[in-house]
Amino acid sequence: MSDVTPAIEVCAVRKAFGQVRALEGVDLTVTAGTLTALLGPNGAGKTTLVRIIATLARADDGRVRVFGYDTAKEPGQVRERIGLTGQFAGLDDALSGMDNLILIGRLAGLGRGSARSRATELGTALGLTDAIDRTVRTYSGGMRRRLDLAASLMHRPDLLVLDEPTTGLDPASRQQLWAILTELKAAGTTMLLTTQYLEEADRFADIVHVLDHGKIIASGSPEQLKERAGGAGASLDDAFLALTRDARKAAS
Amino acid sequence: MTAAALSYRPARDSALIAGRNLRVLRKNPGRMIYPLVQPLVLLVMFVSVFGNLAVTAHAAGASGTYRQFLIPGIIIENAALTAPTTGLALLRDASSGLADRFRSLPMSRAAVLAGRLASDAVVFAVQALLLLAVARLLGFHVQHGPAGVAAITGVTVAFALSVAVLSAWLALLINDPETAERVLFFPAIALAFISSAFAPVADLAGWMQPIARANPVTAAAAVIRSLASGGPIGVPLLELGCWTAALILVPGFLAARSWNAARLSGNAICGL
Repeated sequence: MSDVTPAIEVCAVRKAFGQVRALEGVDLTVTAGTLTALLGPNGAGKTTLVRIIATLARADDGRVRVFGYDTAKEPGQVRERIGLTGQFAGLDDALSGMDNLILIGRLAGLGRGSARSRATELGTALGLTDAIDRTVRTYSGGMRRRLDLAASLMHRPDLLVLDEPTTGLDPASRQQLWAILTELKAAGTTMLLTTQYLEEADRFADIVHVLDHGKIIASGSPEQLKERAGGAGASLDDAFLALTRDARKAAS
Repeated sequence: MTAAALSYRPARDSALIAGRNLRVLRKNPGRMIYPLVQPLVLLVMFVSVFGNLAVTAHAAGASGTYRQFLIPGIIIENAALTAPTTGLALLRDASSGLADRFRSLPMSRAAVLAGRLASDAVVFAVQALLLLAVARLLGFHVQHGPAGVAAITGVTVAFALSVAVLSAWLALLINDPETAERVLFFPAIALAFISSAFAPVADLAGWMQPIARANPVTAAAAVIRSLASGGPIGVPLLELGCWTAALILVPGFLAARSWNAARLSGNAICGL
């Protein structure tokens, strides 16, 4: 596979749930090795798009490729290359952190020994060593998020899909999670992020796409978006509000 | 991934999921009360209250006691009442973030259902063996010793699995854990009572008799009675085999399809 193959290519994707049109012809490209943020108001279609990219849902129309593999026709190859941290922790509360990580690692194809050593390595890297043998239901919100992230990383994915990973976390836990994500990015992992916290996108994302009413209404670096919306001194919050307001005016 | 690895993957992944389910049970002993302790209590209660009742000669079979007639019915009733836990556990997984985790992994998509059935088969087998051990203390006799016990256990597990597959499909169809919890046990109770589990079909109310004759609980109880006490086994075994195959294949296919459907994977609409 060529190095220039984008990590994600989304072409003219549409998706509806009954009368509700969640995505209306979304086009998007994510370059390998970047952290791309997908922003949008509640109900904009972010989670639907993330679910299609992660092979959890199918587009009604259009095409999505992850590292060149079609998510509808080659979901197995896509799943080997992605890790998903969804809005709800994908963990078994009744098992220990270590049991969860080993199970997920083995289901992802690792052998017993490799899964155990990878789980230990990730437990250490994510600051969970002392809690790793405890039942997950005893974890704090921040610990659960870190364990969920560790689970997503068990099979060393090339693309990490993060759907609101810091929602509900206290500032210290958010900071801790971002320190880990920054390290992952430095190591070359491509990341697609949705978040409610615009300052996170401003600080960490290389590219931001703004999604509203199922359409991408703006794309660019945080600096470019701020410049477009308000010039010097504008925050990404200002840019986001201006862009979504303009899009609504144009639509009406 | 090679073709050989792909072909072996469903069995390996199903075994991993089954191992996870059994580990959850081992680490949470409270979850064993319903499938393993409650059936023993029911057995002792039923036998203590009804065990010495007189019964018509054709019902009692070769041994001539109601106890010998009743206990196979209680074993099958308990299997029918425990089997819906398969659907509830599957729905619990489907409604949690764990479902998305499993669906986003490069694992066999059949493994979650197959692994659940495999681990529950172990629970059903342990339940049947415990019931038979306590029933022995209460005076229940099984012909042919350990071979008879093994055959009864096998029949009970096959019957329980068929109801479990049905419950898995219904639970995923209902797609709401609280509703499923209230709804799934009702057919199991009806199946157990409109049958020959506790009384011969001929002694049931007239409207019940055709249903009871066609009921797989009647066939399963008849097979266990024949294995324990002797008597004709061919026809009930054939009926049970047909029921088991039909209940595993049709709802099994539908349950697997429901599990894979995207609409089950969390708040797809609410979280646009």
